[in-house]
Amino acid sequence: MNMDTDEFIKRLAADLQPVRPLRPPWARAVLWMAIALPYVAVVVWSKLTMVDPAQAGADARFVIEQAATFATALTAAMAAFRSVVPGFDRRILLLPLAPLALWLASVGQGCVQDWLRLGADGLAIRPDWDCLPMAAVIGIVPGAAIVALLRRGAPLHPRLTLALAALAVASVANFGLQFAHVRDASIMVLAWHLGAAAVLSALGGWLGERVLGWRHAPGVRRPS
Amino acid sequence: MRAAQAGDGRAYSELLRALVAIVKETVRRRFGFLQPQDIDDLVQDVLLSVHTARATYDPTRPFLPWLMAIARNRMADSARRYVRRAAHEVPSEQAPETFSAEDTNMSAKGYGDAEALAQAMAKLPQGQRQAIELMKLREMSLKEAATATGTSVGALKVSVHRGIAALRKALRTTK
Repeated sequence: MNMDTDEFIKRLAADLQPVRPLRPPWARAVLWMAIALPYVAVVVWSKLTMVDPAQAGADARFVIEQAATFATALTAAMAAFRSVVPGFDRRILLLPLAPLALWLASVGQGCVQDWLRLGADGLAIRPDWDCLPMAAVIGIVPGAAIVALLRRGAPLHPRLTLALAALAVASVANFGLQFAHVRDASIMVLAWHLGAAAVLSALGGWLGERVLGWRHAPGVRRPS
Repeated sequence: MRAAQAGDGRAYSELLRALVAIVKETVRRRFGFLQPQDIDDLVQDVLLSVHTARATYDPTRPFLPWLMAIARNRMADSARRYVRRAAHEVPSEQAPETFSAEDTNMSAKGYGDAEALAQAMAKLPQGQRQAIELMKLREMSLKEAATATGTSVGALKVSVHRGIAALRKALRTTK
């Protein structure tokens, strides 16, 4: 064995700290949801005007959209947590596609209905910058929590992992915000909510390497 | 690996030693064109990643697929680094000489008058001579030289600076 590698192993073994094996990805996704969801609920409840639950519950499209949004958040988080475990089955990455497709289809159907009902006015996209600070505030804790949890894993595909994490955060934020936007035009939901989710995911993919790159043990020489 | 996760350094050391041959063989099979030193670097990169990601190993699952996923990932990273480096490097048969004046090529040719340099060194005060010997001739770091001489890093810096200035002056007068 090469002397350098022998010395290298000695140094790794000398500083060895006990570690607790990570919980299964689904358990970590549930843990993240347990952190994110109460925070989102508190922010929405304290800062926004909530819709009438009876009115919201009677709107089948709203219920489907919310279920799909929540499922997208949960499955995207599961896929993100699975992607930081070496040897994972790549098919898991397709998991969020089904609820995401349902979410998109439901919003798309709403756009068509608005168009049939109101004509071109039903598809008018208005600027809605007032929502932006609230959306950012809602995303802070879920975003920080998922990054902190993901950093305990192996950054095998940091771009993909962070893109999935960003999708999970955007979805859970949307899930909360929708309770204050039940009568919004579908085109607005498509442009601002799903659009923001897409932009966040793209941004996550772009920053993946910087946020989740391999962080090596301090004091150990990194081979160039 | 289970013992390593519990903090058993000896078991961990044995495991890593056993992994070296497996990882080296995998690297060699895929990157047969690499020099032995580069293969060792890549093996160490994989070991370091195993170390960093050891919490992600699930003791109820087989170990080798977990290891190989990390090894493949680090090899792919290494290949990307290699391609990036190759894209920015231009092979050159001969390094161009940017300055032809004798002074600028002194380090390549070695110092011309070794005898004069030895005499100038001998005339330096003890502290300055020792500082230059340790840091410039034995190439110790400031910290190492400070430990060896028992002086502070600041004092060493001053001694080296003054010693070099004195040598420069002495050698200029002997030219």
